[in-house]
Amino acid sequence: MSRHIPRTGVRRYVNVVNLGGLLIAGCATLPLVWMASASFKGPGEISATPPSLLPEDPTLGNYETAFVRNGIGHYFLNSVVVACVSTVLILSLAFFAGYALARLPLRGRGAVMTALLMLSVFPPIALLVPLFLMERQAGLLNSYPGLIVPYVALNLPFAIWIMRNYLSGIPGELEEAAVVDGAGPLRTAVTVILPLARPGLFTAGVFAFTATWSEFLLALTFNGSDDRRTVSVGIALFTSQYQVPYGVIFAGAMVATVPIAVLVLVFRRSVVSGMTTGAVKG
Amino acid sequence: MSLRRRTLLTGALGAAAAGLLTGCGGKDLDDLLTRAAAVPRGPARLTWWVSEIPSRRGGIVADLIIKAFERRHPRISVSKINALSTSDGNRSAIATQLAGGSPQPDVYLGDTTWPAQFGDSSLALPVERLLPDGFWDAYPAALRTGSTHGGQVYAVPFFTDSAYLFYRKDLLAKHGLRLPRSWEELLHTSRTVQRAGDVEAGFLWQAAVTESLTANVTEFLADAGAAVLDGRGRAALGGAAAERAFSLMAEFTGSGVTPGTVATYEESDSQDAFTGGRGLFLRNWSYAWVNASAPGVSHVAGRIGAVPRPGFEGTGRSGVSCAGGWSNFVNPSSQALGAAMEFARFCAGEEVQRLLAREAGVVPAMTSVLTGPEARAAGDPTVLRAADLRLVARPVTPYYPQVSKALYTPANAVVRGDLSPADGVREAREGLRTALEGKAL
Amino acid sequence: MSSALPTRTSKTPAEGGDGRARTGAPPPGSARPGSVARRRARAGWFFASPALLVVAAVTVFPVLFSLVLSFCEVRLDYGGLRLGSPTLGHYEALLTHPEWYRALAFTLGFTVVSVFAELVLGTLVALVLERLGAARGWILALLLLPWALINVIAAQLWSYLFNGTYGAVGWLCEQLFGTQPDILGEPVPAMAAMVVVDVWKTTPFVAIVVLAGLMLIPGDVYEAAEIDGAGPWTTFWKVTLPQLRPIVAIAVLFRILQAFGIFDLPFVLTQGGPGTATQSVAILGYRILFQNLDFGGGAAVAVTTAVIVMGCCLLFLRVFRAHVDEEGRA
Repeated sequence: MSRHIPRTGVRRYVNVVNLGGLLIAGCATLPLVWMASASFKGPGEISATPPSLLPEDPTLGNYETAFVRNGIGHYFLNSVVVACVSTVLILSLAFFAGYALARLPLRGRGAVMTALLMLSVFPPIALLVPLFLMERQAGLLNSYPGLIVPYVALNLPFAIWIMRNYLSGIPGELEEAAVVDGAGPLRTAVTVILPLARPGLFTAGVFAFTATWSEFLLALTFNGSDDRRTVSVGIALFTSQYQVPYGVIFAGAMVATVPIAVLVLVFRRSVVSGMTTGAVKG
Repeated sequence: MSLRRRTLLTGALGAAAAGLLTGCGGKDLDDLLTRAAAVPRGPARLTWWVSEIPSRRGGIVADLIIKAFERRHPRISVSKINALSTSDGNRSAIATQLAGGSPQPDVYLGDTTWPAQFGDSSLALPVERLLPDGFWDAYPAALRTGSTHGGQVYAVPFFTDSAYLFYRKDLLAKHGLRLPRSWEELLHTSRTVQRAGDVEAGFLWQAAVTESLTANVTEFLADAGAAVLDGRGRAALGGAAAERAFSLMAEFTGSGVTPGTVATYEESDSQDAFTGGRGLFLRNWSYAWVNASAPGVSHVAGRIGAVPRPGFEGTGRSGVSCAGGWSNFVNPSSQALGAAMEFARFCAGEEVQRLLAREAGVVPAMTSVLTGPEARAAGDPTVLRAADLRLVARPVTPYYPQVSKALYTPANAVVRGDLSPADGVREAREGLRTALEGKAL
Repeated sequence: MSSALPTRTSKTPAEGGDGRARTGAPPPGSARPGSVARRRARAGWFFASPALLVVAAVTVFPVLFSLVLSFCEVRLDYGGLRLGSPTLGHYEALLTHPEWYRALAFTLGFTVVSVFAELVLGTLVALVLERLGAARGWILALLLLPWALINVIAAQLWSYLFNGTYGAVGWLCEQLFGTQPDILGEPVPAMAAMVVVDVWKTTPFVAIVVLAGLMLIPGDVYEAAEIDGAGPWTTFWKVTLPQLRPIVAIAVLFRILQAFGIFDLPFVLTQGGPGTATQSVAILGYRILFQNLDFGGGAAVAVTTAVIVMGCCLLFLRVFRAHVDEEGRA
């Protein structure tokens, strides 16, 4: 997998490196462990001092509240649909656009790249009202497309940038060979470039998925009706002005996070190679 | 040349925007009111934007109300949209939809501080003409004042929130202390119990930079007899009385009776601290009673009491409370104005008000229900003593958010000790003046 | 270097474009350079346009709409939003108000500090990860978790940890230093808390991007450095870092964009307080739009913010232009 030749001094740093690795893992996960533990605490223990790392009297009450009273399962499904469809659309559009911008003789490439950047500069809160007006006119409110369309549009610029950068790093020989063989641009793109682009697509996909998975403001405003709410909005609804139900919030957070964590941990090998492979440089 | 092109472009864009904006065409208020006056005979569907109503017996209060309404109006079906209970998130979501001319929700539950601004921005239907004569006699006067802007009423009463002083009965009894009759006495009592190590904090309240603090400031100012606005709605804050109120807030934290974290406290945080057994006294809204008395949630259930807030020594004024709560507003873009209006009226009516007294942990808006059989059966001091309160309305102005911010920002600095009380009052007055001119951010 | 070939060589014929001479589609399989280039040029727009159209359809109107709003009197009446006469009043109110400058200063400070911290930490993390053996997969996967955490949840989690009464961070401070600081209740600690949470959540982003960059550095570069007798420190500064610059530039650019728009964290953790200490530009805009219902003023905040960020980005791109262009091909 790794094509790295061991470097000088690597051995000497093994301990430091491993310690560093542990430290990183600890910093990244400790707050999450805390959250997981708190999700099993009862209302009294969750606000106890000194705080306990593990619940003394574990309870599933928070989960019951999250599932039964607040329908977190349904919100979760909505999120899965919206995030997955958005990610797939973003990737397919970004692949072709990135390919065109990276490798095809496109007039005004610089202007396009700059324009994409400029559009992502605009603060999303300012887009909320006009987007709402547009969605109302189009009848998209409280529907999956109502979120997917703006998610795709707002996350495309970054995905295109990633794909362009990735694809311009792919060696040109294969492509040239395809052209010489008489393959049209579409066939070249799909049969030659696409397989090579997988790591880049993977990276862009992870970025797109996390962004759409956690978006809050648009989801709250456009998909307010109960049956179309996403997890981030659903969990925000747990908070009430009457008390801070951290236990229930964290139970909902666990429901939203654990499946992703399991996926990432199980497929960590492909995640690592997907996100960091440099083999294409040959 | 390029200038003219730009003008043209702007014009075209403006026209396109205007076309999109007024998709529903110019609407005439009289026309809307006529439509709202007729209760539909045919089938109609309503959506109700409602935040969580604290429940007394575990039932979902909003669903019970809807069921009762549908029994009375079998041809109208109502579905509920769960609103965020945090006032700010709620406001942004509803304001976006209303400003976008969305026909849904038809009826929405809003804070009692919203009417002036929402009315001024045409986000709520003026309802005065749609209410029967003598309607307001059944509700506290402060509720009507708070719902009125420019001679129009924009909200139909639903339930009220009033501020009370919650206290730990057991700890006062242990130390042989009586309930404090003034803030000065409360400071003293708190210190006594704190010194004995029985409790971390003496007095818990809310001083985060939100509306919560504005309510507290308004009450302390009223305690001291200071006015925020004069009779003509201009900034009138100042003088010894106002400084006395701000000094008290500084003294709470300065003396350690209130922990410094109160500067980050909203209602929920202070309630959590109190129900966790960390405080002797708590200022909170009436709904806190149900939560603080629930054995599963509260460590101090059964050991607490609630009384109207004390006042300053020598003023003879106590029991001040902000007129808080939630009212129903009618969306002017609703496609079922008549049904929507009927639903809002129904929620203000006796059947629902008594249902609230029975099922919900809030104070019904209707005064007669406060002493009715349901209220007596529940026995909450927060409901039974509601009639004893001296309700004060927060300023009624279309610039309310800016006015509120002008009060809570300097007050928060005073609580943290970053600003002297005198400077705090001065800054608040300056801020109020800018806010009332509509020039604040 | 060979990878630069297709884009660079094919550019010239395409731009020279004998557009008028185009008489018909070249037969498939034709290898005449001119027609292939033409076909590729057309394919370029054909490939790029779906994505660009989607982006344009959704964002161009709202952006222009905000521009128009910011220059007009805006009124709400029973027909909805109404545009009145043109005015510069929104900008005047904004530019003469100290709060706007305070919000801008906080946002700039936050952006600079957190992006810098994330860059340094992210590079360190990436260097560690690169050298890790079998554990790399696990740690990278764990790193992904905070980053994949829903923003609102992350903010709630930290508001729990920072809670002034029973928060674990305050408790830890008390054990370590004997005093319990009021983290979210004092301006400087509250700002620091924002940076901590942001660093916790987004350092993984930078680390992953940098790691990908590290893997792209060919091994022979290091060998050459080794032959020249460079130590690890010198190698890092003279070899690794310059090679990383293009990819880091992109990461930083997008981080700046994100950090400048910071909203969720102060919204949940401090509501912009204490006072107005953590009121970011986005929070200010949100307040003006949705609390004050001042759509013109809110649009003016958005436009000024966009102009400032755009200026920063263009400056950044100008400085790093070479690197950005060479990204991935270096």
